[in-house]
Amino acid sequence: MNKQVYESPSIQKMNGGLMNKFGTRSSYEPVKQIDGVAVNFLMEQFGSPLFVLSERTIRRSYQSAVRAFKTRYPKVQFAWSYKTNYLNAVCRIFHQEGSWAEVVSGFEYRKAVGNGVPGHKIIFNGPGKTDEELRVAANNGSLIHIDHFDELYQLIALSDTLDKKPKVAIRVNMDTGVYPLWDRFGFNYENGQAAEALGKITASGKLELAGLHCHIGTYMLSPDAYVKAVEKLGDLAWKCKTELNSPVRYIDLGGGFPSTNTLRGSFLPGPDTVPPVDEFAEAITSRLLKLGFGAEELPLLLLESGRVLVDDAGFLLSTVLAGKRLPDGRRAIILDAGVNLLFTSFWYDHPVSPAQDFTHHTEDMALFGPLCMNIDVLRQGINLPLLNRGDRVVVHKVGAYNMTQWMQFIQMRPNVVLIDEEGGTHLIRQAEDLAYLEQLEKTPEHLKEINL
Amino acid sequence: MRKKTVISFAEQVSTTVLNSYSMLFFSNRRFFALLVLLVSFLNPYTGLAGFAATATAALAAYFMGFGRDQVRSGLYTYSGLLAGLGMGTFYEFGTGFWILLLLASLLSVLLSAAFIASLGRSKLPALSLAFILTLWVVILASGEFTAIGLSQRNIYWLNEMYATGGTDLIRLAQWFDTLPLPAAVSGFFRSVSAILFQSNIAAGMLLTIGLLFFSRIALALMISGYVIAILFIQLMGGYAGSVNYYNLGTNFMLVSVALGGFYIVPSFRSIAWSLITVPVSYILVIALWKITYTWGLPVFSLPFCITVILFLYVLQLRQAGGKMVLTPVQYYSPEENLYRYLNNRDRALHSFYFHQLSLPFMGEWMVSQGYEGGLTHQGEWSRALDFVIADHENKTYRFPGTRLSDYYCYDKPVLSPADGTVEEIIDYVEDNPVGGNNTRQNWGNTIVIKHAEGIYSKLSHLKKGSFKVARAAYVKKGDILAACGNSGRSPEPHLHFQVQATPYIDSRTMAYPLAYYVQREKSKPLLKTLAVPTEGQTVSNVIPGSQLQQAFGFQPGYCMRVKADGYEEEEWEVRVSAYNEMYFYGHRHRDYAYFINDGTVFCFTAYFGNQKSLLHLFYLAAYKVLLSTDKHIAVTDYFSRQAFRRHPLNWLQDLLSPFFFFMRMRYEGHVYQDDDGMGTGSILLSSRAIAKTLGKERQTMLAETRISQGKLQAFRVWWNNKKIEVVCVN
Repeated sequence: MNKQVYESPSIQKMNGGLMNKFGTRSSYEPVKQIDGVAVNFLMEQFGSPLFVLSERTIRRSYQSAVRAFKTRYPKVQFAWSYKTNYLNAVCRIFHQEGSWAEVVSGFEYRKAVGNGVPGHKIIFNGPGKTDEELRVAANNGSLIHIDHFDELYQLIALSDTLDKKPKVAIRVNMDTGVYPLWDRFGFNYENGQAAEALGKITASGKLELAGLHCHIGTYMLSPDAYVKAVEKLGDLAWKCKTELNSPVRYIDLGGGFPSTNTLRGSFLPGPDTVPPVDEFAEAITSRLLKLGFGAEELPLLLLESGRVLVDDAGFLLSTVLAGKRLPDGRRAIILDAGVNLLFTSFWYDHPVSPAQDFTHHTEDMALFGPLCMNIDVLRQGINLPLLNRGDRVVVHKVGAYNMTQWMQFIQMRPNVVLIDEEGGTHLIRQAEDLAYLEQLEKTPEHLKEINL
Repeated sequence: MRKKTVISFAEQVSTTVLNSYSMLFFSNRRFFALLVLLVSFLNPYTGLAGFAATATAALAAYFMGFGRDQVRSGLYTYSGLLAGLGMGTFYEFGTGFWILLLLASLLSVLLSAAFIASLGRSKLPALSLAFILTLWVVILASGEFTAIGLSQRNIYWLNEMYATGGTDLIRLAQWFDTLPLPAAVSGFFRSVSAILFQSNIAAGMLLTIGLLFFSRIALALMISGYVIAILFIQLMGGYAGSVNYYNLGTNFMLVSVALGGFYIVPSFRSIAWSLITVPVSYILVIALWKITYTWGLPVFSLPFCITVILFLYVLQLRQAGGKMVLTPVQYYSPEENLYRYLNNRDRALHSFYFHQLSLPFMGEWMVSQGYEGGLTHQGEWSRALDFVIADHENKTYRFPGTRLSDYYCYDKPVLSPADGTVEEIIDYVEDNPVGGNNTRQNWGNTIVIKHAEGIYSKLSHLKKGSFKVARAAYVKKGDILAACGNSGRSPEPHLHFQVQATPYIDSRTMAYPLAYYVQREKSKPLLKTLAVPTEGQTVSNVIPGSQLQQAFGFQPGYCMRVKADGYEEEEWEVRVSAYNEMYFYGHRHRDYAYFINDGTVFCFTAYFGNQKSLLHLFYLAAYKVLLSTDKHIAVTDYFSRQAFRRHPLNWLQDLLSPFFFFMRMRYEGHVYQDDDGMGTGSILLSSRAIAKTLGKERQTMLAETRISQGKLQAFRVWWNNKKIEVVCVN
């Protein structure tokens, strides 16, 4: 017989009301392996904390999103949103699957080029692009999405010095019935700014109008909003064709499809409330097909999905550093991973599972990170089995944004491991060390001597 | 202008004359014609008479206004040549002779035209019937003319030779005739020369060498025909008087060539048949001789004509096509006929006989039940396909699969597989719940589209109320018709697709291939042409790339100038033949490159002309191009055997080609760099040729073709250890 696991004693308040006929047993299952690779093995091999990415899940998510669209609309192209996760290994999985690149800065642009993406398959978004960045993108034949009039004038001014006529689209913002409105980026549709910008592009004769772009928001829960966006962009596309005699070749609906993470403060968990990609695909494509374009002139549908394609594939493995009791009686657990690594915990209630067996007793507890900062809270309150120092936990659905928005603050960034489809493990980003952190620092001569 | 007319007239007549000579051996090769002409003059009088008769016939055919191309081919005139050779052999020269020769050659043209027209209706060749009839008329009539006498020259032919060539020629001819050759071998040479009414080993040898250069298969067939005839005679102990060199040459050896490799595509079977026909011809020789000798007439090549025409006629009566194939297009060479036939078959260039059907959906679907599927595709309804959408785990639904909308294929658009008219629509059957089944309204909501007479497609189990088209509407390929549903005999949503010959909802099915589709494989997707997917395969349509379609959509009248270092500038013009075949015509070298473009694939089908021209390089580089920019799909193809022009083992392969090939030239092509899918950016196509000889592979050609702005810009070929960069100016 195995030795029983020690659990620290806990006292639970008796709740009034009806008893649950299924008892108090939690629905938790320990998560001991990811894609067939033991969590313990991973942590022993690569340390703690540890980011783990599942190549299989990435590919499956991508393939099912592509299937949802391509079985409904003849011309569909996904472009991987670099800012969601720009680890080269992750980007290359998407590129291998056929995805283009969507970047929002010069360094992301160079990263895409470095990953072997041909210039004409890079979409360059974002509100701040320098002359040099625009010059490179235009000469590479990339799709430049113009955000505001100043950028439009900047590009027209630059165009005389370029080898190629820049291929451009405008970003359009609009009222899609979802509030707050995302009106910060691009040209407004309702007040005629977008039409004006399109007119200026064609009138300049210096830019090649290739498409229309919008990104109506993030974590959108309503497919109807996309239908509105398609209608409004479709209206602009007709204008381009009939009034400006410059038909657009693509309509880029940006990203914004939600992953199944649960937003903080939402009443029901994500998996129950988030519409699947299929519903978005049905809404978008059926409206696109009704725009009135003939089979040959149907615009290419570009999608810049990020979150929905990678969130589920990411796991954060962490170790319990300590457990303590707070003055209000709540249990608190200190993990070795905090908001420095899990930026998204500011808006998501990430699911967390223990990585070892446990008894049926559970307790409400707060999960804190290791930072000496008040904000370092992974979960304010979560019902979990009792955890001891040294126990391991798996945080789920962390693939999007964390590996780009993570902070080097107080702690250093850990290893990132990719599990390939055959179950092999690959270190795709090495843990940082002090030498790495300090390599860019310069110490002035007069500060070299410390006489303490 | 006038000078030009005279030249073209002279060219026409001289070509007609030459082709008449080579046609005696089923050839149209210029060098071979000259050789036959030369050999015919080894017996100068015969040769002269033959030439005069041919020239007369050629002029007559020209002025009578038959089709120019047919006249050029020598079809109307070779009987005249034979008649002339025959008369020159039999009769003494004199005024009366020349008058009779003139009349005979005119008669032979008229008879040729009559035979060609009447037999041509039954797709049969006229062979030498005109010659036989002409010469019979001459022989029967000449007895009454005193101005004409039988010749005795053939008995004293050495005298003639002495008169024309002096002693050297005599010595040479005698030396040949006294060569210590086995009787069988010298007999063979004499038999070959007998086709030109000679009995001369030297002539036979020269012709044999010429034949060797012209066609290895033809020569082999002549030898085998000769051997079989000799063996048969010895075996039967027949009347040897009728077996002379003439009969051996014209009746047995030529039968063997005609049926073994000329009118029938050479194969193991055709050769076996040709050997059976030799004895048949032999019996005919004896039988006919019994009849004709009563009038003092030789049978000439009548047994040959009867045997060949009879066999060809009977072969056409076969119900199924059979394994012996009648030569579809005559290239006047057994090798050429065989290679072009095989190449066309391997490359499925006969695809224009089929109506081009595509898959009736977007994206990748899986065949859940194929032809002869055990579940419901049975009996007269067995040639149907059921499609579903499956994920990577081969599941057709997402959890829990209890609602129709859980199924990936449910409510997905269903497309028209080709242009056509909506013949019938049923749209009143309720969709079944998952697991339900409606066997009363078996097909559920269904649409039948008429694509052509006798070609209808039917799509069934559609979603009620989802139809986007109405009855009698004209739909185009790829138009959305309705949505996939679960009506009728359908426990889970799926799409039923079948082709049928009649317009009814419950018509029986018809096996019919899809023009093109992409089949998902573990490693690389596979392009399938004229095939039917089978159960478990995941397939999708080929998505054409607009820029490639534009660049390769060559229209008649389109001109392109091409330049390369070390080459003269060429201008290519796209033309179209009377049979709607498109081809490039290179003005400088007068070369032709025939191509097909069906919207999905561009491919060259044949090349005629200078092998050192830039057009030939382009023919090699863009032999087959898939007009899609999907980088993962490779196209493969086989070059015709002509691509091996200068290989030392060529002749051996020619000899063995009716049986098997040890040399093949494969073509592989793929998109190396694609555009943005919207027509901008440049496309790089890469292609290579791989020669496989005796199991060893060697890359013989590598090419890159660059397309941008919807046009062919340049191509680059590594060929014969040279790199040639070609720039195209549109």
